[in-house]
Amino acid sequence: MKNTSASGKKRGHLYAFTAILSLCLIIALATLSSFSGAVDEHVAEKEESYSRDDLRRGQRLFKGLVAFESGIHDCSSCHYPSRTDTMNWNPSAHDLAMRWLQEDDYSIREKLAMPVGQRMITDHAGMSVTEREEHLIEAYLMEVARRGPGELRAIPVNAVIFWGLGILMALALVDLLITKKIRFKIFHVMILLVGLMVHMQYAVAESRNLGRTEGYAPDQPIKFSHQVHSGQHDIDCQYCHTISKFSPSAGIPSNNTCLNCHNVIREGSQSGRFEIDKMHRAEASGRPIEWIRIHKLPDHSVFSHAQHVGVGGIECQDCHGPVETMDILRQQEDLSMGWCLSCHRDSEVAFLDNPYYEPFERLHALIRAGELDAVTAAELGGEDCMSCHH
Amino acid sequence: MNKGNTRYWKSIGDLAETRELSISEDAGGEEQRSMMEILADEKNETASSRRDFLKWCGISFFSATVISACENPVKKAIPYLTQPEELTPGMATWYASTYQHGNEYCPVLIKTRDGRPIKIEGNPSSALTGGGSSARVQASVLSLYDDGARYHGPLKHAEAASWETIDREIIGQLRNAAARGEKMALVCPSLLSPSTMALIKAFREAFAGLEVITWDAVSYEAIRQAHKESFGLDLVPCYQFDQAELIVSFSADFLGTWVSPVSHAKQYASTRRISEDKPHMSRHIQFEGTLTLTGANADERVPVKPTQEIRILMALYDAMAEATGNIGLGAGAVDYDVQALAGEILDRKGKSIIVCGHNSKECQMLVNGINAMAGNYGRTLDNSAPLHIGRGDQKSFERFAGKLQRGEYSAVLFYNTNPVYHYHQPEMIREGLEKTALSVSFASTRDETASHCTYIVPDNHYLESWNDALFREGHYSLAQPAIHPLFKTRQFQDSLLRWMDREQDFHHFMKQYWQEQLFPKQDAYPDPASFWTHSLQAGVLDTGLATQAMPAYRSGSVREVAMALQQMLQGEAEMEFSAHPHLAMGDGTHANNPWLQEMPDPISSVTWDNYAALSPASARSLNLREGDIIRINGQGEWPVLVQPGQADGCLSLALGYGRTQAGKAGDGVGSNAFPLSRRMAGQRLLFGPVDSWEKVGDGHRFARTQTHFSMEGRAIVRESTLDKYRMDPSAGNELHAYHEKHALTLYPEDHFDGHHWALMIDLNACTGCSTCVIACQSENNVPVVGKDEVRRRRIMHWMRIDRYYNGEADKPGIVFQPVMCMHCDHAPCENVCPVAATMHSKEGLNQMAYNRCVGTKFCINNCPYKVRRFNWFEYARNEAFDYHMNSDLGRMVLNPDVTVRERGVVEKCSFCVQRIQAAKVTAKNERRRLKDGEVLPACVQSCPAEALVFGDLNDKSSRVAQLIKDPRNYHLLEELHTLPSVGYLTKIRNPE
Repeated sequence: MKNTSASGKKRGHLYAFTAILSLCLIIALATLSSFSGAVDEHVAEKEESYSRDDLRRGQRLFKGLVAFESGIHDCSSCHYPSRTDTMNWNPSAHDLAMRWLQEDDYSIREKLAMPVGQRMITDHAGMSVTEREEHLIEAYLMEVARRGPGELRAIPVNAVIFWGLGILMALALVDLLITKKIRFKIFHVMILLVGLMVHMQYAVAESRNLGRTEGYAPDQPIKFSHQVHSGQHDIDCQYCHTISKFSPSAGIPSNNTCLNCHNVIREGSQSGRFEIDKMHRAEASGRPIEWIRIHKLPDHSVFSHAQHVGVGGIECQDCHGPVETMDILRQQEDLSMGWCLSCHRDSEVAFLDNPYYEPFERLHALIRAGELDAVTAAELGGEDCMSCHH
Repeated sequence: MNKGNTRYWKSIGDLAETRELSISEDAGGEEQRSMMEILADEKNETASSRRDFLKWCGISFFSATVISACENPVKKAIPYLTQPEELTPGMATWYASTYQHGNEYCPVLIKTRDGRPIKIEGNPSSALTGGGSSARVQASVLSLYDDGARYHGPLKHAEAASWETIDREIIGQLRNAAARGEKMALVCPSLLSPSTMALIKAFREAFAGLEVITWDAVSYEAIRQAHKESFGLDLVPCYQFDQAELIVSFSADFLGTWVSPVSHAKQYASTRRISEDKPHMSRHIQFEGTLTLTGANADERVPVKPTQEIRILMALYDAMAEATGNIGLGAGAVDYDVQALAGEILDRKGKSIIVCGHNSKECQMLVNGINAMAGNYGRTLDNSAPLHIGRGDQKSFERFAGKLQRGEYSAVLFYNTNPVYHYHQPEMIREGLEKTALSVSFASTRDETASHCTYIVPDNHYLESWNDALFREGHYSLAQPAIHPLFKTRQFQDSLLRWMDREQDFHHFMKQYWQEQLFPKQDAYPDPASFWTHSLQAGVLDTGLATQAMPAYRSGSVREVAMALQQMLQGEAEMEFSAHPHLAMGDGTHANNPWLQEMPDPISSVTWDNYAALSPASARSLNLREGDIIRINGQGEWPVLVQPGQADGCLSLALGYGRTQAGKAGDGVGSNAFPLSRRMAGQRLLFGPVDSWEKVGDGHRFARTQTHFSMEGRAIVRESTLDKYRMDPSAGNELHAYHEKHALTLYPEDHFDGHHWALMIDLNACTGCSTCVIACQSENNVPVVGKDEVRRRRIMHWMRIDRYYNGEADKPGIVFQPVMCMHCDHAPCENVCPVAATMHSKEGLNQMAYNRCVGTKFCINNCPYKVRRFNWFEYARNEAFDYHMNSDLGRMVLNPDVTVRERGVVEKCSFCVQRIQAAKVTAKNERRRLKDGEVLPACVQSCPAEALVFGDLNDKSSRVAQLIKDPRNYHLLEELHTLPSVGYLTKIRNPE
């Protein structure tokens, strides 16, 4: 304690320095991570045979800027080179590139000469490429594969405000203490106060949402559409998520579950064969499909689908939203504890129907006496910490 | 206050000075320092100031803002390509199997989650063990994931080699040796598996000149030999303690390690459980030098040193012979009223059982004689259903060791045996192996013998293997793999089959054996296929016994026995040593299991250590103090532990310690006591004279859990005697009625709708075996903290076995008391938590929300039972605690239903709430009421004595609701009116 006056000041500088350094580091890391694309190990293998000139010419061909020998075909009008936030049923340029890289005997020329599936035949009618053109397209696909699927870039309004205010505050502080250009100090004070308030507000809002992913809708490795399956074809959720009534987990269907139908249904009305083929290729290669997980409970909490779907009879949509309308699955709720508890407090339990609840004699007596209409989950222990945290 | 209660004390210091705060006891310099200082020391910094704290707050606030702008990590969900039919994500799959090692046998159920075994439970279908298990069985799942000690593949000269090379070279050498008629040997312990024995027989036939040497580290050979003398039958009889009204044991630790402790505990407890409907119980007399678990449970315990004990055995034989008109030994008088004991035995003809733990043929013959004179054969001892243990042959192993040392063998194979550690002359094996052309070890984990072998052909862990077992005649069980081999290992039996050039693997070999040999013995299944499938699913098969007349007892030459015993008694000395298999360590094979190393010995509460136990009087006479280090017979170094209840003149050592090649947890813990063992008349004896001893050091600090939890001077364990109980069932428990009557509270009355969970513990049935402690650790992801942290009183076990002494220090009575969270209805911990991290559930559980806890430890301070534990460190992913939570493989054993606790939070027993929740969902889903006994916390499930009963107090017909009304029921510190949900039934002794 004694040394705080002398060496404490020195250490204060050290801390400030550390803080700034770590801040810079975090920003640098965040920026870097957005650039690092998924470069497949296959790329390096095939890369050498393509020159920069090939790549440039391939890109023009693909984007319809120059004509193929068979005419002008803008491949990129269907096979998007960049990412979109709506469902594009056609394989993107990146999808094509990956498929070509992963399959040894994949030939664009042959595929176009002998299209399979109705969708592909109609869409590629009258298209053909020469050997040279194929080489150029391949050069471009190589680049696409190297670049990765790309990021969806929205304008980060919040970040702009946050950093803009930060700079303004810094300027105000500098002027207030050192340069003293503006005479009315009320300006500085106002800027600092408003800035701090806004920053605080961000801090609170962002901290509260830390780890929450409401609205999360990532691209999946297969363009599986819940809209097509459970909306259009009206397949029951539990037809594929078979275990949700008795297991804590709802279970992401294994590949063989998909193949139960897709052994026969080899072509989608919108996606053609490209997406469905992925399952068959997974089956042949023995590599399972790596889905992107959307619904993630906060750490240290336990959730049982058996309790909610099996016992409670809750509709899947109550928590997962109108899944049957979603082409790309989106997280509907924030999965926060407040959200869980509000439902536990409000939802009525089918108390009288299930013999399990017979031992709750006091509650039964109250219902018989007409003092109680219904029993909520909270009254049966749905608010107990250890029901979910153990 | 002490009305009707015996005065209990916990340690010697406690007895001398009850007022002294035990926290200062054996506290070294480190304990006196504050936590802040220790932490600061670790970081090489001075204590932090408040200003530093504020600075860090500022930085973390700023970083939080920045980090919160970052994206959430992308996580993948990878389902199976083809989902196995038997596997449901999120739910456990159970496989029946069998744990076996030497004489340890337990049919088990293996709980697997997503294909990895995470918990072992006793198989309730077994008539022998009935769902019980032992600490070693519970801990065996951890050794599956022992990344460091398990071999990752075959080795040649300690270098990794391919299976093809290994097989080619070994087959070549074996064939050459066989062709040249050279000597070969396969050394194995006595095996329980009938099909493995059939396979070994076939292997021996395939390679002429191969000897099979059977040898056990801890042997029961003498029982076999004695029965050969007495009945002409080479067998170990089946001991039926449940049929006995009087149990007399000479050093046999039958509840801890002797023969079949799991089934004995079950049988023993059935004779000890007492109620108003059944107001009688067995009487148990124990003569022993070491204070064993069994002795601690005895109604009358006579601490005598080994030679003295044999004198008493001889005198008892004489007294029995005299009373029944047989020829006696003519042994001298002893300082014990054997006439009265003989009378007591004869009063209960056919209802007593006499057992002896010494591996001496003559002692066992006397025991046979006494049992025969008491008419116990055919009643409490069954020769028609023998136990298939103790086939080891000491003499042939000694011959083997001699020949090996002379280099007479050209090939030696070691299966499941480690003579370099277990044999008392390890140099013979070591030297011999250097002269042997082909030495092969099938060890699955590192061991001392394997390290001297040319080839290591690693066996699978038992959870990866097929096997079967015949422990008791007519009681078969099967073992099946619950997981693919984690490493490039191969089952021992498959190696033999491969070397015999058979196409068949052991799975099919065994299946064929069962369908050919055992299918005809049963009539439950009509065809071999369904017989196999159902047996595999059940894990156990009872074929019944062929009724046959058993040969009668013949006494043989009493004179010869007397002479041999007299010779043995010439070794009588002022100070004698006695070595015993340790309750947790056994013979030391599982020494690298940190759960077992950290299991407090129920008697001494020492962890991670071996010691020389001495009685207080002996320690005084030798001028030794606790912590002094002594060397005995020039063999090893042991710290002295002053143990009340030890016989004067008897120095006790545990076996199973002092491994040098076990792995990072087991290496160098304690000293090896096997080299002390003595040969006499072809037997290996584990006791003998202390010819020399010297003090080589002092100041050893034990890592004991004893002084952590002193509950001073209060009626914590209540005890009475059978006579008093018969007169008044609430004998010894008068305080209960008093406190019930005078209870006053400001709190409103509690009411629990639905369930009100409670646990009843019958102190009369509890043997203190500590299985529940390890079961709890396995179920609830309780971390191992290591010796130093235990010394700092930071052991993390959620339940503990408290042990109290009463009476005199040289002849104390001992009681065990399992203590876990009491789940008080008026819990003192709940009131003091500033963040409401601990509170009461609607089902009477005292809940602990880890993610809310900020670690003030107020609750720990306010808990009168001291059952709460604080995570001083991050125990997972922390190289300082590299026991099992630090490696990717080790973490596989964690129960996914239980949170791995963070640094800085408090944790404690939850009544296995994850099991309660799972059972509730199942019942709700099946639209039925929850059945009594459906929810079994890990401790309750594992208890071989069924001493713990869990259930719902609101269900008036439940067992627990019945037991809580028992006049014996009381609660811990009930004068505080905390209204615990855990009740204890008073201990009743039968001192006659």
